[in-house]
Amino acid sequence: MMNRRLRLSTLSFSAIFLGQVLVGCGSGQTESANVSEPAASPAQTGSAEQIVLTIGGESEDGYDPTLGWGRYGSPLFQSTLLKRDDNLDIANDLATAYTMSEDGLTWTVTIRDDAVFSDGEPLTAADVAYTFNKAAESGGLTDVTVLEEAVATDDTTVELRLKQPQSTFVNRLITLGIVPEHAHGPDYARNPIGSGPYQLVQWDEGQQLIVEANPNYYGEAPGIKRLVFLFVEEDGAFAAAKAGQSQVASVPPSLAVQNIDGMTLYDVTSVDNRGLMFPYEPATGRTTPNGAPIGNDVTADLAIRQAVNFAIDRQALVDGVLEGYGSPAYGPVSGLAWEEPKASIEDADPDKARAILAAGGWADGNGDGVLEKGDLKAEFTILYPASDSTRQALALSAAEMLKPIGIQANVEGKSWDEITPAMHSNVVVFGWGSHDQTEMYNLYHSQAAQGDFYNAGYYANSAIDTTLDLAMGAPSEAEAIAFWQTAQWDGNTGFTAQGDAAWAWLVNLDHTYFVSDCLDIGQPQVEPHGHGWPITANIAEWTWTCN
Amino acid sequence: MQLRPILLFALQKLLRLGLLLLAVAVFTFVLLSLSPIDPVQAYIGADMMQISPEQRELIADRWGLDQPMIVRFGDWLGQLVQGNWGTSLVFNQPVEAVIATRFQASLQMLAIAWLLSGLLGLGLGILAGALAGSWCDRAIRLYAYTLASAPTFWVALLLLITFSVSLRMTPICCAAPPGVLAADVTIWQHLHHLVLPAITLSIIGIANITLHTRQKLIDVLHSDYVLFARAQGESLSGVIRHHGLRNIILPALTLQFASLSELFGGSVLVEQVFAYPGLGAATVQAALRSDVPLLVGIVFFSALFVYTGNTLADLAYPLIDPRIRLGGWRS
Repeated sequence: MMNRRLRLSTLSFSAIFLGQVLVGCGSGQTESANVSEPAASPAQTGSAEQIVLTIGGESEDGYDPTLGWGRYGSPLFQSTLLKRDDNLDIANDLATAYTMSEDGLTWTVTIRDDAVFSDGEPLTAADVAYTFNKAAESGGLTDVTVLEEAVATDDTTVELRLKQPQSTFVNRLITLGIVPEHAHGPDYARNPIGSGPYQLVQWDEGQQLIVEANPNYYGEAPGIKRLVFLFVEEDGAFAAAKAGQSQVASVPPSLAVQNIDGMTLYDVTSVDNRGLMFPYEPATGRTTPNGAPIGNDVTADLAIRQAVNFAIDRQALVDGVLEGYGSPAYGPVSGLAWEEPKASIEDADPDKARAILAAGGWADGNGDGVLEKGDLKAEFTILYPASDSTRQALALSAAEMLKPIGIQANVEGKSWDEITPAMHSNVVVFGWGSHDQTEMYNLYHSQAAQGDFYNAGYYANSAIDTTLDLAMGAPSEAEAIAFWQTAQWDGNTGFTAQGDAAWAWLVNLDHTYFVSDCLDIGQPQVEPHGHGWPITANIAEWTWTCN
Repeated sequence: MQLRPILLFALQKLLRLGLLLLAVAVFTFVLLSLSPIDPVQAYIGADMMQISPEQRELIADRWGLDQPMIVRFGDWLGQLVQGNWGTSLVFNQPVEAVIATRFQASLQMLAIAWLLSGLLGLGLGILAGALAGSWCDRAIRLYAYTLASAPTFWVALLLLITFSVSLRMTPICCAAPPGVLAADVTIWQHLHHLVLPAITLSIIGIANITLHTRQKLIDVLHSDYVLFARAQGESLSGVIRHHGLRNIILPALTLQFASLSELFGGSVLVEQVFAYPGLGAATVQAALRSDVPLLVGIVFFSALFVYTGNTLADLAYPLIDPRIRLGGWRS
């Protein structure tokens, strides 16, 4: 690395040097290159007054929650009805209480009466109702389409009426920041006004976001007065941290192995998972509405899918591919309250995988090292997005681990445009991970398979469908959890490895951050898909511990 | 000045401009609509599992993507005639506002690069042409050929590695120092962030102009009238001043204005490398996320920009060479 950099700079030096010589050999030519003066860039050291964060996460289309702003991490400018605490348990924020009607169709939320927007206007139930109604009709990145209407019954009570019961609707109460009805319009996204802990000072698009503590915030005043978010690439974030200019920097695992003086590496567990999705049906010539083929004869065989699950050494993938910054994944919701612990398996067991294959009728008849069953060869293609080196390494390593048990996996990197039509008939390295259980529903419900990323493998099991529907219709998240767990594995059925093995989940990526030793960021949550912004979830509680 | 030829000239130019813009609009629109990137998909990105088909329809509806291409083109053209360029999908802002803010950031960089490459290119070209065959000429040619064949982004990376990473003389990114309010940014800080991208852009432009100028000067120096002048005892510098410059200034000017398009293209790459938030960076984002209104807007704007540049060159000819008259008018 060092060598390469040296050589490159020598090259460029000679190019510039050449230029200078040439300029020098003539008449009255002025000097061209490097007229720049030495940098007097002020060393940015943090303090309780100001810290600099290089964690990416710019929202190009602005900071309007009704268009999806704040669905990860902290919405900064706005506050939400509910929030998830460090353990991802649901806690009140703007709301003081919420109840659900018997039929699960009406949610009644009472809110605190002392909240004001940063422009001084009080926040009332009418603003809450406006926010939800607006979000339901606007084509943004927050999905509130299940809402029939939101009505403010008095100043502090709002009724949210749904079209059908949906236990995961609570996630909208957690992520949707409340906007002021009187100040919401097309310009709002660039001039956000809200009741959150911070208010916008300046946004240089493509460069930085500067925010300051909101003096009108109803909660405890944030520990850091001013935050500067620098929007630079990961390499830039690392360079800024190393130069002491940034106090919180998100870095890829490949850079996390280095040391930075005065900074601690935070290795945050996440549900940002990667796994192999199997086409579940045999290829019968059926196609999606867009004409893409569905099904794969090899992966339609349960023995193959289970054998893959048991043969893969997930810990080796974590150590080898992720440099140890990760954890094995046995399902789509690792580390969350609705994970079924019994769904985990003893993997890295090629003998068990061979036994499963033999019992399933697979044998190596011609001695070429690849099993057959009748005319069918145990061979499939694993697709991964060519731009993602982590997924590439996972795919290649997994294929290596399958060779000894007689499964031939061919690994191919393609663009998403090429993968999309091929993903219903080939194994694909996908990555998901969310605090919203809707994702699990959409990954495994047979009705979700419509020729898109939802249940791309066309997994279908009516028992699982019923359980997922029960979870979705449950009156509260707490009661839904039992159903979510049952769907994963209940001892007899489930979509995880011991059941239908619809996927071979591989690993969860840890999200690595360098954080200044002087900064106390509390206990980070188990983070969703997306490295960077999620660490801001508790940003109002961060404190500066040095003088 | 004679009014009629100027009017005729202006009319002709405007007509051509109109046709050009129409062709550009049709091509961009059709090409982008055929692009495999689905703008809704690009917008949703990693949130695919949380967005239901109903919400997808809402998004498509908000942007009018549920309409067929012809209808969308008609709507867009109708709005354009009324002065409305549409709304950018990526930035959720009127296209003209995006272009205005982004172009302001790019303009200074483009202007510095344009002037530098023009002046240096001309100077180096004259030097090489006058001393053709000498070691100085060889060195300049080597330099020009090397840079002419070097990709812009590669040169940009080399400069970044040298001056920003190794020497720490220039900032690594952006157009302003971090954490400083817009009102507090000094002109020096501003120039400091501008200088490396601008120099990168100009370095690329120099090669082309140098080589052309050199060749033209050599042609002039081998002409009969120069031989005659030399025979009369005129020195080389005198010949260049009295005969050379006048003859090479026209092609140099043409090249200089024609290089506007290359400059514009180069800025896309340079801004990407230096994380400079100008129009070039916006172009990349618009293309990657299939933001048709913004991309068509930028293409439109750049066509106007380049066309204006070339027209300025046309207008400058009669001022420099009185033998040239607009619209082929003869006295």
